[in-house]
Amino acid sequence: MEEHLAHGALWTIKEGFTYPNEYIYWTIHIVVYPYITGLVAGAFVLSSMYHVFGKTELKPVAKFSLVFSFALLLMATSPLMLHLTHPLNSINMILTPHFYSAIAAFTVVYLTYMAIVLAEIWFVFRPFIIEQAKEKKGLLGLIYNAMTLGSYDVSEKALETDHKIVRILAAVGIPAAAFLHGYVGFIFGSVKTVPLWKTPLMPFIFLMSAIISGVAGCVVTYILGMSLKGNFICGATIRSMCKVLVWFLVAAIVLEGIDIVFHAYTAEEFWSIMSELLFQRFAFKMLVVQWLLGMILPLILLLLPRLSMLRAFISAMLVLIGVFTMRWDVVIGGQSMSKSLGGFLTYNMPIIPRSMETFLEGPIPITGLLLMPLLLLFIFNKVLPVFTEVFNEEDCGFTEGLLSKKDHVNH
Amino acid sequence: MSLSRRELLKMGFLAVCGAVIPLSALQILTPEAAASLIRPYSEKKRWAFVVDTTKCVGCGMCVKACKLENEIPFNTDVQRTWVERYVQLKDGDVLIDSPQGARHGFTKNDPQGKEVNEAEIAKGFFVPKLCNQCEKPSCVQVCPVGATYKTDDGVVLVDKNWCIGCGYCINNCPYLARFFNPITNSADKCTFCYHRITKGMNTACMDACAFGARKIGMLNDPASELAKIISTERVSVLKPEYGNEPQVFYIGLDSIVR
Amino acid sequence: MSHAWRPVFVVLAVIVAILVMRMILVPHDFAAKNGDYKYQWHRLSAETTSKDFTVKYKGKEFCQQCHPDLVDKINASGHQNIQCENCHVMVESAKKSHPIDLKGDFGYLLDIGIDRSRELCKRCHAELSYRPQTYVMTKGTVKETVKFKQIDPTKHNAGIECVMCHDVHTAGFKAAGK
Repeated sequence: MEEHLAHGALWTIKEGFTYPNEYIYWTIHIVVYPYITGLVAGAFVLSSMYHVFGKTELKPVAKFSLVFSFALLLMATSPLMLHLTHPLNSINMILTPHFYSAIAAFTVVYLTYMAIVLAEIWFVFRPFIIEQAKEKKGLLGLIYNAMTLGSYDVSEKALETDHKIVRILAAVGIPAAAFLHGYVGFIFGSVKTVPLWKTPLMPFIFLMSAIISGVAGCVVTYILGMSLKGNFICGATIRSMCKVLVWFLVAAIVLEGIDIVFHAYTAEEFWSIMSELLFQRFAFKMLVVQWLLGMILPLILLLLPRLSMLRAFISAMLVLIGVFTMRWDVVIGGQSMSKSLGGFLTYNMPIIPRSMETFLEGPIPITGLLLMPLLLLFIFNKVLPVFTEVFNEEDCGFTEGLLSKKDHVNH
Repeated sequence: MSLSRRELLKMGFLAVCGAVIPLSALQILTPEAAASLIRPYSEKKRWAFVVDTTKCVGCGMCVKACKLENEIPFNTDVQRTWVERYVQLKDGDVLIDSPQGARHGFTKNDPQGKEVNEAEIAKGFFVPKLCNQCEKPSCVQVCPVGATYKTDDGVVLVDKNWCIGCGYCINNCPYLARFFNPITNSADKCTFCYHRITKGMNTACMDACAFGARKIGMLNDPASELAKIISTERVSVLKPEYGNEPQVFYIGLDSIVR
Repeated sequence: MSHAWRPVFVVLAVIVAILVMRMILVPHDFAAKNGDYKYQWHRLSAETTSKDFTVKYKGKEFCQQCHPDLVDKINASGHQNIQCENCHVMVESAKKSHPIDLKGDFGYLLDIGIDRSRELCKRCHAELSYRPQTYVMTKGTVKETVKFKQIDPTKHNAGIECVMCHDVHTAGFKAAGK
């Protein structure tokens, strides 16, 4: 008789009483999925800071974070595809969506957001695209010509229109980005059988962690990209990004803290198993990595006076690791508590690929997936350069001067 | 004629009472309401199940029959129905297990793999489980593509060719009745043997049970033994707090049952 | 017309493409039955597929066609409630032993054989203090509560097959000399 292993049996270790059909069904892909969407939302919000709120010191990263957001957005669906047992059927999501399901609206939300981001990129880069289309020959010329969508109008009036539309799109994009990720939070928050997920705070918790990861991702990638090109990085820009990071870090700490305090205080039926999860089984991942290293330490590092580039980089890296661990703790931790409340399921990711299933569930596709947005950014940068010196040292000094004057006035 | 405020209030109060009382009286007397006193469930006929845990001996023949009938590979650790063993010790500890879903039955006194001294046992019993075919199935609500649905007679089915395999329904079932079928790779679950009950047969698990612990039937069908049990005996359901309105009714449940 | 409309046209083109694709690919019987989009949004033909699934577990009536004597015997015994398939369906291929090809000739889909292991009998008869001590059987037209025989398998003739002494079909002892 042919032996079939249950889906999930390969990586789930059961302890105590768990239901016979109970496995960790949502694995590493579902950890990476909210992580990437979070980065998308965060990066977009950062780019809007310049366009909507007129933060001039963020001008150097405005284009970069927009294109980075798009590169990440392109990869956002791939972890989902990898996790489906019938990836070819995924088109049914568009064919027969069932909107009572929290995930059915994903295609709509995703495509709407994609349209906004693409349109904004087009309007932002239009003068550059047209210039290149006229200059470049061969394949690159063809690409640029296609990207103009047939319009070569760079009159003053047209550029004025572009500017207005970019402001509108950036403004509309903020709620859209917030919705995209708040919605991911809702997908988890509405699962009534998993006590760790089921909280109305979930969309907001996810949103805050999304923004901190997105901004941190931009800090890290921007510093890396510019350094690799040997370009000048304006300190005022980085400090301004870090300021955004600090505010949202505080919000994230407050929201996630309230959530745990509430569970502990109300101590419902599931609290005994949940406290075992938080303070024993996931204590290192949750308390040490997610809270101390991922939120508290970077907050302190960023708040200490005379923020250096290196310190900003390290803090942002810590935030990135912290948010990834948070996604892991939420997704895997939530499923680790047996729904019988009388047992635990431990997730053991298959490291060595022995079959197609273990390969897909293993670290190789996931590493590829996490590196893909960087590769895409590298490619996009060839067509739409984002790692350029928008500010030279003089501009930067001027901006810093402006900022310190503003601070002076405020005090 | 002029009215004082007090009189006005009094008359108003009486008028409201007068209007409300006949309405509420009528409410009881409407045919639907009267019927619901005898048959407290929905008017339409729908399939339901009764499990008498006091009769279950834990032989696991139902699990075996179900796996063979529904082509769920026998040695795979997923099942449409399974039997759980609950043993409470005199010191208050509760041991629960369902080794391999009990498809080989319970042949030894070894809850959770530990030999237990008979003298330490306060009480114990077996609880067969299966899909509750909820009136408000959360698994159906969350399917993004309409691959799972409730039939007119109340059974929740899966369209295995339309399923995308996201696992959202599995995570949303409070009873863990769902799993991925290792052959079709689609979500799978107990169907109350829909292919049998719609032909007038019993479910395979009910046929296999020698002790009469399982019963299927139509709610609101005066001829069904099940309807009689549910309307005259004390029955309970599993995890009612989730609001799914499960339709598998249990006799002899205990507070230690999960 | 302003160049700003161009992205709008791209978006409209994508929407139209999706709508056209839906028109072609959505099964025509996909509907919200009874207007119940929440619980009955599905491909209606899938119901028929579920109904048409093959019945495999056929019960005593099927076996009776060739083994009327055995079925009569068991119906009169304490094992009257047990279906043939409970014990005779084999999940291990080594034990399949029915002389007639049930699959080919009768369309019977399960594998039949004889399992003489103690494990099979222990599923009901191994003594567990929390196992019900009685069960109900029909004698003639009356229902009667009978004591359920349970043994401690470690003490009760350990190592010997139950069928050495017991006749499963009569739920009694084997006649002497047989």
